[in-house]
Amino acid sequence: MPAYSNARVIRDMKARNGVRVNELARRAYLYVSRNQSLPAQVRHQAQLQLNTFGKYTRPSTVKNRCYETGRGRGIMSEFALCRFQFRQQALAGNLNGVKKASW
Amino acid sequence: MGNVRQSTLEALTRLRCSIFQTTYNPTRIRTGAKYLRARLRGPSMVKYYPPALNISAIARQYPALGIVDEKEQQRFQDIIDRKKRGKGAPKKLKKNEDGKRAQKKR
Repeated sequence: MPAYSNARVIRDMKARNGVRVNELARRAYLYVSRNQSLPAQVRHQAQLQLNTFGKYTRPSTVKNRCYETGRGRGIMSEFALCRFQFRQQALAGNLNGVKKASW
Repeated sequence: MGNVRQSTLEALTRLRCSIFQTTYNPTRIRTGAKYLRARLRGPSMVKYYPPALNISAIARQYPALGIVDEKEQQRFQDIIDRKKRGKGAPKKLKKNEDGKRAQKKR
């Protein structure tokens, strides 16, 4: 659980968990569905099965959000912080190896 | 070069595949192998939010420690204060009681 959580953060965590749980099955269906050497009917069935998976099982649903504020835009993924939090934490010296530059 | 037979070229490709351990796929059919070969992304996705210290959960699990969640205490105090000023949440209706909205509709 992040330091700050709103509905969007919780939804994102749900999506991440869903992706992890359903990943193997989804991959198997993807393999069958995309394999051109298999009969068309089997591939179609596999595609139909893929469509039955929920919204929160697709990796593309997952979005990196700010750990401190839950903000969804302007995220530095390496630190899991939005740009403003990144600046504040960096100035406070909480981020190792990050230093303010001036030239 | 133009005189080389098709079968010879095929044999050469097959040989090359066996040497470099690649799949012989002359018609370039899609096998879907990339979905099996790709690494699983779920485990790293779950780790994105590092776990935070949850004081209220610890307090609930170990009541003997006497930990007080100050934020929660403040919230309760605020609710009490608001009620004193008559700004509290409205009472819940009992099952058979009719609310104002239900009466208006008739």
